[in-house]
Amino acid sequence: MFHPKKPSTMNSHERPMCVQGDSGLVLTTDPKPRLRWTVELHERFVDAVTQLGGPDKATPKTIMRVMGVKGLTLYHLKSHLQKFRLGKQPHKEFNDHSLKDGERASSLELQRNNASSSGMMGRSMNEMQMEVNRRLHEQLEVQRHLQLRIEAQGKYMQTILEKACQTLAGENMASGNYKGMGNHHQSVPEISGMKEFGPLMNFPSLQDLNIYGGDHLELHQSIDRSSIDAFLPNNDTFLMGKKRPNPYNNGNGKGPLIWSDDLRLQELGTAASSLGSQDDPFKADHQIQIAPLSTDHRGNDIDSVSDIYETKPILSGEAMADKKFDAAAKLERPSPRRAAFSNERMNTVISAGGMPQGRSSPFG
Amino acid sequence: MVMGLDFSGYSYSTTTTSTEGDQGCNWNDWSPVVDWEALSGDQEDFHYLIDSMMDENVVLHQPVRSIHEGYNRLSPDTMMTDEESNSTEDSKGLRQPVRSIHEGYNRLSPDTMMTDEESNSTEDSKGLRLIHLLMAAAEALTGANKCRELARVILVRLKELVSPLDGTNMERLAAYFAEALEGLLDGAGGGGGGKKLLGGGKEEHHHQTDVLAAFQLLQDMSPYVKFGHFTANQAIIEAVAHDRRVHIVDYDIMEGIQWASLMQALVSRKDGPPTPHLRITALSRGGSGRRSFCTVQETGRRLTAFAASIGQPFSFHQCRLDADETFKPSSLKLVRGEALVINCMLHLPHFSYRASDSIASFLTGSKTLNPRLITLVEEEMGPTGETGFMGRFMDSLHHYSAVYDSLEAGFPMQGRARALVERVFLGPRISGSLARIYRARSEGDVCSWGTWLAMVGFRPINISFANHCQAKLLLGLYDDGYRVEELSNNKLVLGWKSRRLLSASIWSSQDSDL
Repeated sequence: MFHPKKPSTMNSHERPMCVQGDSGLVLTTDPKPRLRWTVELHERFVDAVTQLGGPDKATPKTIMRVMGVKGLTLYHLKSHLQKFRLGKQPHKEFNDHSLKDGERASSLELQRNNASSSGMMGRSMNEMQMEVNRRLHEQLEVQRHLQLRIEAQGKYMQTILEKACQTLAGENMASGNYKGMGNHHQSVPEISGMKEFGPLMNFPSLQDLNIYGGDHLELHQSIDRSSIDAFLPNNDTFLMGKKRPNPYNNGNGKGPLIWSDDLRLQELGTAASSLGSQDDPFKADHQIQIAPLSTDHRGNDIDSVSDIYETKPILSGEAMADKKFDAAAKLERPSPRRAAFSNERMNTVISAGGMPQGRSSPFG
Repeated sequence: MVMGLDFSGYSYSTTTTSTEGDQGCNWNDWSPVVDWEALSGDQEDFHYLIDSMMDENVVLHQPVRSIHEGYNRLSPDTMMTDEESNSTEDSKGLRQPVRSIHEGYNRLSPDTMMTDEESNSTEDSKGLRLIHLLMAAAEALTGANKCRELARVILVRLKELVSPLDGTNMERLAAYFAEALEGLLDGAGGGGGGKKLLGGGKEEHHHQTDVLAAFQLLQDMSPYVKFGHFTANQAIIEAVAHDRRVHIVDYDIMEGIQWASLMQALVSRKDGPPTPHLRITALSRGGSGRRSFCTVQETGRRLTAFAASIGQPFSFHQCRLDADETFKPSSLKLVRGEALVINCMLHLPHFSYRASDSIASFLTGSKTLNPRLITLVEEEMGPTGETGFMGRFMDSLHHYSAVYDSLEAGFPMQGRARALVERVFLGPRISGSLARIYRARSEGDVCSWGTWLAMVGFRPINISFANHCQAKLLLGLYDDGYRVEELSNNKLVLGWKSRRLLSASIWSSQDSDL
């Protein structure tokens, strides 16, 4: 089903099986025989584990002793216990998050009933259902974690870039080359120049990751403020919207490539140097104003990119340094309001961009 | 007449290479342009041939396809299924690199063979010629009848045809390969001079800003870096779920970006004891590059600051390698009760090659420390059986063409961004890769580090569902051409279409209850 390794009842139907006489164990006839964990066997296993004080206390050896099933080896128990332990965790979290205790208890009850009374078919269906739910839940958890990890990595990357900017700025100050600190007019062409690289900056993560809806996604401030700003003009429409088609997205699910130019520009504003991530509203407004500029001057933009990347490295260093100082000035003005906004809008971005048509879970 | 002899040697050995693929076809089949019979002729014939190869290629179009074609014919086992290739077509429309795989595939399935073959035949020819030239140069450099002059002539002509900065993927790739071969040619004469290519000296010529920009772009354009880091980190998180103190020894810490996400995960873990204390020991080398003492120290400061910002108890240490980059386990400070993790990132695209003696000393030394977990990320080589310089050379060409294609597919319009990444990272990597292959050409089978770990007695650890799931979700953020597969239960492989590129595997040297 989801995982090739998982011993599911479905798999075992396709495999030739043989029953080992007295103990009733079912083993595959593969060259490397695997044990089939029948419901009865699993029940005994669960009972043994419970008796031993839970999956974290039980060890394969003790379980083997308690179960006392002939033919069952430590090897079998090891891997089953491992899976059992892993399988336990999501349930715990499931429980913490959304499912009420009562529901959980009743579903366990249901499983128990099925196991003892109904036929093979019903049982395996139920197991399958449980398995599906468990996997789905685990997947959601993984997705949430992945989101946070990507953000953490992005945030860290920003510290590297910031440091590089500082170093360069220092060099430039020392050599007396530096001028125009904090001059917005200067920064405009520079930012537009970077536009070409804009869509690369972390955005896909935020947009595509939200495969299942972003309600529980916690978004920290490391998010590119620029992508949030991109939605400023329309934010009312989007604030609470879930699964709403994204107007910037032509529906082929690969948003970053087809987003309009001003959007890329917005992203660049911070992503490249990270410096605006906790800036003030004025800066944001400014960027929005310059957005149309960038679309008008596409040709120039390309030239300036080549200025940055295909001439002497020193030049690009200066460019980055300018930017650093520009934003460093901003950083001195803390803005709590801004931070609050960020989270709100971030959800919006995620919800809006998160359900591109035709793009579903990789497991689908 | 010397040349003539050399060439008959060439013709002979390439044919051998191809029939090893058990396809019953040889290089001749995929090159209608070149008359290989002419190769066994005399010197004038040869010159005529080279000239014809040079002059006809006016049409410049996406010929990376041709490499897949040639390669796939040799390795049918890497072939994709029909549905897979069709599904990629849907999303990509007519983009060239995708077609390349189709071509390769279609050639093997006669019923669909006629698709746009004819319209592309001219586009292929330049790419094919470039490949032939590269092969000819490689063969002249290393084949049974070596002829450095011939190799040099071919490379000079080849470099006139291509530039690393523009042109199609195949052209830029050919430019870097030609440069790398030239490096071998220069170094090989001086006996052992090839070694200088290994240490990754080249990357240090780039300005720091370029390196950082390229690093950021690489991360955003492709999943390679995150795949390696996140897969290793997830395994670490699972392995130390119940520990209060975690000690990671990192072979090649670089900027330390891998650990940001690990810290985040440790801080937010729900079960088990509260956030464990994390200690990282980074190995450092002499010199002034990205792995030098100072750089590593800087990384340490940055990691410490980051840890403090998210509330992760953290300490950082350095452990200096010997002059020849040998690792001495005794130089590590270990504390009882720590869960010891060995982290070995080897071939992420932004890394350069490390001498295998150094890696071996690190991994062997690690064994004596009895670590809880070893995480290994390395490059995937082609199907086993690619032996000898030519086989590995072609394998390498195929490998990097897949990397180039993957970068292009994700960001077709960002030619300059890609050129930067290629210049800063991939070019030096290609040089390093060829130098390694070149120096190992007399050795028999070169196995992967994973295989090596298994041989020296490390125990594979199963990749968890969550880890596999994470990799799939991660790849879902990038182009559809990326895929992940699980091999031998302890290894996740990241591939581009049918080509495996990078793998992450996890190991332990401890016997445990589970």
